[in-house]
Amino acid sequence: MDPILVTQGLNLVFAVAVLAVLALGLAVVFGLLGVLNLAHGEFIMVGAYCAWATTAAGLPYVAAIPLAIAVCGGLGLTVERWLIRPLYRRPFDTLVATWGLSLLLRKAAEAAFGLSFRNVAMPLPGTVRVLGTDYPGYRLLLIAISAAIVGGLMLWYRRSRTGLRIRAMVGNPDLAQAVGIRATRLAAGTFAAGTCLAGLGGVMIAPLVPLQPLMGLDFVLRSFFALVIGGLGSAVGLFAGSAVIGGVDSLVSALLDATWGYFAVLVVAILFLWRRPGGLFAR
Amino acid sequence: MSVPRLDFDDLAGGYGTTEVVHGISGAAAAGQVLCIVGRNGVGKSSLIRMLSGHLPAWRGTVRLEGRAVTDLPPAGRRRLGISYCPQERPVFDDLTVRDNLILMRRDRSLDGFAPFIGRFPVLERRLDQQAGTMSGGEKKILSFARGLAEMTPLVLLDEPSEGVQWENILHMADLIRERRAAGTTFVVVEQNLAFAERIADRYLVLDQGRVVLEGPRSAIDRAALLPRLHV
Repeated sequence: MDPILVTQGLNLVFAVAVLAVLALGLAVVFGLLGVLNLAHGEFIMVGAYCAWATTAAGLPYVAAIPLAIAVCGGLGLTVERWLIRPLYRRPFDTLVATWGLSLLLRKAAEAAFGLSFRNVAMPLPGTVRVLGTDYPGYRLLLIAISAAIVGGLMLWYRRSRTGLRIRAMVGNPDLAQAVGIRATRLAAGTFAAGTCLAGLGGVMIAPLVPLQPLMGLDFVLRSFFALVIGGLGSAVGLFAGSAVIGGVDSLVSALLDATWGYFAVLVVAILFLWRRPGGLFAR
Repeated sequence: MSVPRLDFDDLAGGYGTTEVVHGISGAAAAGQVLCIVGRNGVGKSSLIRMLSGHLPAWRGTVRLEGRAVTDLPPAGRRRLGISYCPQERPVFDDLTVRDNLILMRRDRSLDGFAPFIGRFPVLERRLDQQAGTMSGGEKKILSFARGLAEMTPLVLLDEPSEGVQWENILHMADLIRERRAAGTTFVVVEQNLAFAERIADRYLVLDQGRVVLEGPRSAIDRAALLPRLHV
């Protein structure tokens, strides 16, 4: 098989899989709580800095996972309690509040780490031979981890007791309260799950991108575009949106350059917002 | 004198700046069925929503076995033993019938639903179907079964017979009487007088947000009720 074709194909799968994980937290919080968390990218940035701190301290890379979950989960619970909870059902206010939070987190990162770029060493160096072509092992690992995270979360949401209660809370909040569901606690947990997923995404991509406090902005935009295109409420929509955004970006970037790739993503997102605002798989 | 299972005193509340319930008081003892009746728009559902906690009381007190629950949210009241079956959106449309029934059950089993499934075969036939696909009357039956199966000491039912076939209304009346005999208290908002007469121990008749008639069923006959139920 043509090695360029194999590499581009794997790049496409990689872009879709990683974008699906990065967008998952945003989808959870937006789809279930109706909160568009504009600070989602900053939680990805926090996760990435957790990875940097772990390696800087000489700890094994996997230690970044519990650290990012603890930091992003703790931050998520705090933000939900003091910033989001008073603003539920006020979408514009939550938009402004989370935008302010994103600025705060960026400035905090600037104060702590400065504006200079930082790099994280590749935890899994080397390549693996796929269909006669060498491909980075870490990228293949991320494809597998992304599929496991998205698939596992969707399965949990469909099958578990807590997932059932979340679906009940989302579908009929008044009745959910009447049957004794602790909606406040469930909403807090859901928001924190979204920020934890963002942090986890940050840990995953940290060795692949230069780290700096502004890095989150690009990710939140791509994640948002993936949701716009896929539509909210299903794993299929999440993957479809990620496939369109990741696919267009990879393809145009490979044919022209990264700037044109990003331009193409913007054009596709605008077309969808204009012609099909509910996305491909609207709930 | 024993403490009533439920009592409410001088309850007032409404929507926006409009007060629709103007200082209503009442009580229901253990093993008693209190039927709240009256024309459309007189405040019956608003009153029962204030008892469930879904509509905040602007003034007054709600007590469950002597304990004030006025400031508790609906989920807090449910944990203390108040079940509520609302008139509007009575089921989780996006969940299956089975999931509606087992939602809060730790073991996720249908144990305890035999009396309902036996009397309402539609529940068993549609167990794996989305509740949103059921008719209005079927949703009421599902909501009724869910509420009664919670086995709480107090059950609030808002128009449980609305859209339900007469045969099934009779089953509902039987089930309420069985649970009443076991000590459960019911507060039932109802417009169907034939159903209310089968279950009520006491009536609370409302008009324009106020109590206009109150007393045991034996003291209030159909002739006294009918003018209060129809325009």
